[in-house]
Amino acid sequence: MQPTMGTQQSSLVKEKVTMKKRSLSRWTETVRPYAYIMPALLFFCLFFFFPIGYMIYLSFHDWSLLDLSAMEWVGLANFQEIMLDSDFHLVVINTIIYTFGTVAISLVLSFFLALWLNRQAKIYGIMQAAVFSPHIISLVSVSMLWMWLMDPQYGLLNAILEFFGFPAYTWLADTSSALLSLILVSVWKGVGYNTIVFIAGLQSIPKDIYEAASLDRAGKLRTLAKITLPMLSPTLFFLTIINLISSFQVFDTIYIMTQGGPVNSTNMLVFYIYEQGMDFYNGGIASAASVVLLGLIGVMTFLHFWFAERRVHYR
Amino acid sequence: MRKQKLGVFLGTIGLAAVTGITGCASSNQAAPSEPATTDAGASAEVKQSSNAPVQIDFWYSVGGANGEMIEKLVKEYNESQKNIVVKPAYQGNYYENHTKVLSSVTAGNQPDVTMVEIASVGAFADAKVLEDLGSYAAGSEKKYIEGLMGNSYWEDKLYAIPFNRSTPLLYINRDMLKAAGLDPNGPKTWDEMRSFAEKMTKKDGGKTSVFGYSSPIDIWFYEAMVFQSGGEILSDDGKKLMINSEAGKAPLQYWTDMMKEGTMKAPPGEKYNAWDVASQDFLNQQVAMIFTTTGELKNMREKAKFDVGTAFLPANKSYGTPTGGANLVVLKKSPEEEKKAAFDFISWMTDTAQTTRWSAATGYMPVTNDALEAAEMKAVFDKDPNFKVAVDQLQYGKPRPMVPGYKELQEVIMTEIQKVVLGQSTIDDALKQAETKSEKLLKK
Repeated sequence: MQPTMGTQQSSLVKEKVTMKKRSLSRWTETVRPYAYIMPALLFFCLFFFFPIGYMIYLSFHDWSLLDLSAMEWVGLANFQEIMLDSDFHLVVINTIIYTFGTVAISLVLSFFLALWLNRQAKIYGIMQAAVFSPHIISLVSVSMLWMWLMDPQYGLLNAILEFFGFPAYTWLADTSSALLSLILVSVWKGVGYNTIVFIAGLQSIPKDIYEAASLDRAGKLRTLAKITLPMLSPTLFFLTIINLISSFQVFDTIYIMTQGGPVNSTNMLVFYIYEQGMDFYNGGIASAASVVLLGLIGVMTFLHFWFAERRVHYR
Repeated sequence: MRKQKLGVFLGTIGLAAVTGITGCASSNQAAPSEPATTDAGASAEVKQSSNAPVQIDFWYSVGGANGEMIEKLVKEYNESQKNIVVKPAYQGNYYENHTKVLSSVTAGNQPDVTMVEIASVGAFADAKVLEDLGSYAAGSEKKYIEGLMGNSYWEDKLYAIPFNRSTPLLYINRDMLKAAGLDPNGPKTWDEMRSFAEKMTKKDGGKTSVFGYSSPIDIWFYEAMVFQSGGEILSDDGKKLMINSEAGKAPLQYWTDMMKEGTMKAPPGEKYNAWDVASQDFLNQQVAMIFTTTGELKNMREKAKFDVGTAFLPANKSYGTPTGGANLVVLKKSPEEEKKAAFDFISWMTDTAQTTRWSAATGYMPVTNDALEAAEMKAVFDKDPNFKVAVDQLQYGKPRPMVPGYKELQEVIMTEIQKVVLGQSTIDDALKQAETKSEKLLKK
């Protein structure tokens, strides 16, 4: 059973061929995955990375929608202008107050609502649906509704206040109360969704942990602090990010309810960008402010992930 | 794991940024995209056979009953001839429409005819968005009332034809004036209005149930009151804001004094919301006199359960008023054939027969000289003299400032005068602030 010369030779050839095949297949191995993700990658480049890049490009120019042919390179002048503009400072401060106000109130409220509503009886199901319902109404309708509720003269809220003998509140009509009123609307709108997600999170915590805790006679507060909260931290993390980002981009309620007023007290980043770009024809300023918005959201998200790596308990 | 997280991280901020940027534009896209396809179809058809009608798009920005009247007139125009078909589309208020027009021009699917708020004609013409109508009109523009043409020219070229034109008026509740023993024709001067307002203001306990006077804290009424005090908004060359002066301070002093006395209500709400509140308060008889546009006249007459009167805005040193409303323009980017059709439509829309009916149906002013003499218009004036007040007031009318940066400047002025009204700034500081900010804007 000795191999002959011929077969040896043929096996050598075979080896060469397989080697060739192997290097070819190694090459296809490296390329093939990219081919697979190509459609998605193209999609992302076209609709995400290109617009971001183009926006950054535009932010270095003085241009307006009125006359695109008159676009002019101005370097960092747009950024310099908004950084020195006291109105823009106010806009950023308003956005930050609004965002943290909305997220903090909404998350705390929905956490306790979730603890309360996370039960089996039918009435709790109905309550969950009721709390969730604002989430499915369009923000435009919500804004119109609350404008009526908050009308200083004919509104329901002031009618109730006055019925109980309290003085009427100014709501959207005064600089001191308008931003708070917008926070109230967005909390009302967002709390239902957050509650439902919290309830889902609560239900995914294994019961045996609680059983173990109760065997060890851990008190209710202690169970909450040592089991529920840590086990819920991925949910909390997810909701915080989603809420932060969406609050940072508030637009509809401002556009419909206050137009940024009175006296710019509710003017926030996205509305400012819209107003500069579409109403005042300052495309460069609008693009520069968009870059600032991108940066701020980027920093926030980065901090979050950094924090999450240390504190969030994934199972 | 790290890589994946980085990916999620980048994805999140990418998504956030993109929704931030495109969020603004998306609301405008639905409307223009539809006429675009019909546009292309129409011009192709025109080339194939000259008998097919030219289709033109017309975007307008008055809603409600006034908007229905526009639709009705357009329909009549389409039925009156076979060569041109006009497709009207409502695009929100003046400024919403401007935004949509500009984004559609950028995208190349602009309308052929649109309304432009008179103070913005300058910005649009300066940016070469509008067609020079001089050769189309060829002298026919002389038929329009001279006092309404102030916002039609930019650098001596004709760009816009007056259409729904207005002045602010003083609306009075005659029943209340009579009940208080006052002249039912309304006050003639600022001082008279102040004392009228005082006599009609009613207090129930600590609460005011009826205010004598109310006006939206809006640039238009402020402009009027500056004119009445003998002042100007901008210098003649349009390079300098002139309101940091006695005439610029007088309206704010007047308003704040009356608010201190508790006889004036500043309606809450921003921009046109405040106008709605003022009208609603007036209709509900919670305010006896308001400033609003003559374009509300028909609406007020129909809805009020009391005798509505109108009068000139009261005089300080003299009578005075800006004109207002919108003009019709043709977009430069439209094909030649559609531009011709567009001007034909504009001439018809603003001709004596149509402008008379438009005026009678809305309260806006008729725009041609002949219309003022026309029998139909005279019949309307006889039946309800309120319809003539704006036309008569026009002798004291001035165009609105129309330098390209004025839209932003008017927001700056409004913010400053609102600060005064809300008690957050003194009159002197506010006007100084407006002046400082104006320097940059007027340089453009």
